[in-house]
Amino acid sequence: MRQARPYSGIFCGGVSARTGPHALPLARIKKIMKRSAGETADGGARMISGEAPVVFSKACELFVAELTRRAWAATLDGKRRTVHREDVATAVHNTDLFDFLVDVVTADTAGGDDDVHDDDNVGDGALG
Amino acid sequence: MDSSFLPAGAESGSVVSGGANNGAAAQQQAPPLIREQDRLMPIANVIRIMRRVLPAHAKISDDAKETIQECVSEYISFITGEANERCQREQRKTITAEDVLWAMSRLGFDDYVEPLSVYLHRYRDFEGEARGVGLAPGAAPSRGGDHHHHHPLKSRGPGGGSGAAMLPHHHHHHDMQMHAAMYGGTVPPAPGPPHHGHGHGFLMPHPQGGSHYLPYPYEPTYGGEHAMAAYYGGAAAYAPGNGGGSGDGSGSSGGSASHTPQGSGGFEHPHPFAYK
Repeated sequence: MRQARPYSGIFCGGVSARTGPHALPLARIKKIMKRSAGETADGGARMISGEAPVVFSKACELFVAELTRRAWAATLDGKRRTVHREDVATAVHNTDLFDFLVDVVTADTAGGDDDVHDDDNVGDGALG
Repeated sequence: MDSSFLPAGAESGSVVSGGANNGAAAQQQAPPLIREQDRLMPIANVIRIMRRVLPAHAKISDDAKETIQECVSEYISFITGEANERCQREQRKTITAEDVLWAMSRLGFDDYVEPLSVYLHRYRDFEGEARGVGLAPGAAPSRGGDHHHHHPLKSRGPGGGSGAAMLPHHHHHHDMQMHAAMYGGTVPPAPGPPHHGHGHGFLMPHPQGGSHYLPYPYEPTYGGEHAMAAYYGGAAAYAPGNGGGSGDGSGSSGGSASHTPQGSGGFEHPHPFAYK
């Protein structure tokens, strides 16, 4: 009775029927990309192909899933059932792949606007 | 006096006098601040993805949710930064899906490249189909710039090796199997042998035989956008040559309700390379 349609979840791996074709909003992804990309050499705005956010929507799914799984492992290590921020931090510290997240999980950057440059706030030293 | 005062206040807001100036100053400071809804993915979506991988009895604290939300944005920035540098080096203005995939493989996320390629492949397949059926011929696609209307067949040429790739029959099969892959749910990452004619699907999985050969690191010498155009054309580009032949094939692949039979000739692109 129920037939396969583009929005039935097949498109996103058949996991959820409610999220539409993409699990994360493409427009939001694009905004974040725009901010990170900056401008071209001649000062023009960097353009982003429409497919790039599509790739990211899936990539972020894989990324969140992996990070969550590793955080959950840390939660279990602590014999708990609630994933806490520290578990995410542990997951990040234990995984080389997630090195770029170290700043995010160690210092809460809620108010700060650390922008384009990911890896040059090394010299900040111990804050707070 | 009034007339000399007003422009100064409107210009910089540095004059300390009244509430009106405060308002102007606040307005000027607004742009640098990035609203949360522009900076982060929606929390509900993030939580949904997290829940999928956690057991039912697991709980997630709010700070963990927010942290992961931050991490997603950081991830996008991280990858985009690398893709951006590549575009800069090669003096291109647009970051493409291939740049993103390339950046991921560069930064250690090699494992993502294959599933993402499959995903992108399905997306293109579906998009090409939807576009061909739904839009009027000649309606310009907004997505990905203008490479949609390049010449898919021409750009497929070098990849096909022999001229056999140009035959409608080939496209017919190709097309059919793409649908089969799409509607058949997951495409297993079969460890099959690398496809010999690796040109035209430079990072796409090959529908034939289901072997996914992703020759990363991807060589920049290969015309990414052209190969993309080949796939982008999708079903629409092949349709004129298919005639009624593909109607049964794609229909039998199960539950293809959204798939308008191509034999109807409901869409005809005015491409110069259309089969006659």
